[in-house]
Amino acid sequence: MAEPNKITAAALNFFYGDFQALEDISIEFKKNRISALIGPSGCGKSTFLRCLNRMNDLIPGSRVGGEVHIDGENIYGPQIDVVHLRRRVGMVFQKPNPFPKTIFDNVAYGLRVNGIKDKKTVAENVEKSLKQAALWDEVKERLNASALGLSGGQQQRLCIARALAVEPEVILMDEPASALDPIATQKIEDLIHELKKYFTIIIVTHNMQQAARVSDITAFFYMGRLIETGETETLFTRPRLQQTEDYITGRFG
Amino acid sequence: MERHFFRELEKLKMTILNMAALTQRALENATTAYMERDEKLAQTVIEGDREINDLEVQVDQYTVRLLALEQPMARDLRTIIGTAKISNELERMADQAVNISQRSQFLCKYPPLEPIAEMEQLIDVSLSMVKKAVTCFVNDDLKAAYEVCRMDDQADQYTLEVLHTLVEYMVKDTPAAERRRIDTRRSIQTIIISRCLERVGDLATNIGEHVAFIIEGINIKHQMND
Repeated sequence: MAEPNKITAAALNFFYGDFQALEDISIEFKKNRISALIGPSGCGKSTFLRCLNRMNDLIPGSRVGGEVHIDGENIYGPQIDVVHLRRRVGMVFQKPNPFPKTIFDNVAYGLRVNGIKDKKTVAENVEKSLKQAALWDEVKERLNASALGLSGGQQQRLCIARALAVEPEVILMDEPASALDPIATQKIEDLIHELKKYFTIIIVTHNMQQAARVSDITAFFYMGRLIETGETETLFTRPRLQQTEDYITGRFG
Repeated sequence: MERHFFRELEKLKMTILNMAALTQRALENATTAYMERDEKLAQTVIEGDREINDLEVQVDQYTVRLLALEQPMARDLRTIIGTAKISNELERMADQAVNISQRSQFLCKYPPLEPIAEMEQLIDVSLSMVKKAVTCFVNDDLKAAYEVCRMDDQADQYTLEVLHTLVEYMVKDTPAAERRRIDTRRSIQTIIISRCLERVGDLATNIGEHVAFIIEGINIKHQMND
């Protein structure tokens, strides 16, 4: 049986004022797979990622055309609750951005905002999320210490734990390891592989080797268009299009 | 500004082309030494093998370095992996040239056998396979790569015919026991040479397959018989 599509973008267009940042993007993301979006700066990959949980709504003068379906439902439809959408589609950013609170409160934040008050449920959920984010063993003795005292790599895993706590279905990652050292990067990459069991993951990365290492599917964007998408192994060993070949072998421009 | 990596890749290609040229010459000299009973020429082939071995080691080192330091992708990745394999085939071809030369030196000690037409055809076809294999690599010629693979059947056929002719020659009634011993010795050495040439054809076929992999990313191994 074919794997179900978790997310489908159909003829998606996006404008920052008069500038068209995305042109007619149609792509499908399978459930429980890791997809990487690659392409040079300004190619639209991050803009596209942010369209998947309507983060771009916050940008004045921006405009979206086309549709994005999650489990068959158009997230740009009129009945969509954007807060609920963002709970289903979590996001991790380039720079770790923990709240200036304790480690525990960072992870518990989303739960409390969503009205979960029961202390035991919150504590259980925090532990589960920290374990899933492979951070628990490093912080279990100091849950009440400030999150800002953690290393960069730990902070990023804390942000991942925070995203996981509200039990999303999809996790969007925008350059999640670009501010981290190689060891912290490797931990994040291993973590991404683990999280695939539970979530559908889409990651934007400038680092092609990282895309090759972590993803099942790779999509190459260029100048607001989706140029080629396919199994990561195929795309990096024998891409279909010359433009993709030129980009991944560094013969661009 | 030209990328450092492309210069390194070019160096790798130049090394392999150098190796190919030396191997081709070794095979030409080895077969000439056999045909013309030229002991000295055979000796130059044997002595020249070391240079080819050294180049193979160089290619291995380049390959590991480029893979580790440059993390090549797509065509570049295929070129590096394919080139490493081609260098291996060339080195083995050169070893066959040495074998042919050693057998030829042995044969020089005895009076010549009657010329065997199939042997000359076998030399022709295996040398042209090697030439074509190298050319298809140089010119990125997928069609020629397939042609090399197809020529292998012909080389196999000639090898069988040489075997058949010489076995018949050995088992024929010869009155004098001494004569018979000489015939057997010469025939066996010649059969070994034909096997070496047949191997050269196989190795040229492998190069054709590696070139197809470099150009298209496809694997055409073990498909030509289907």
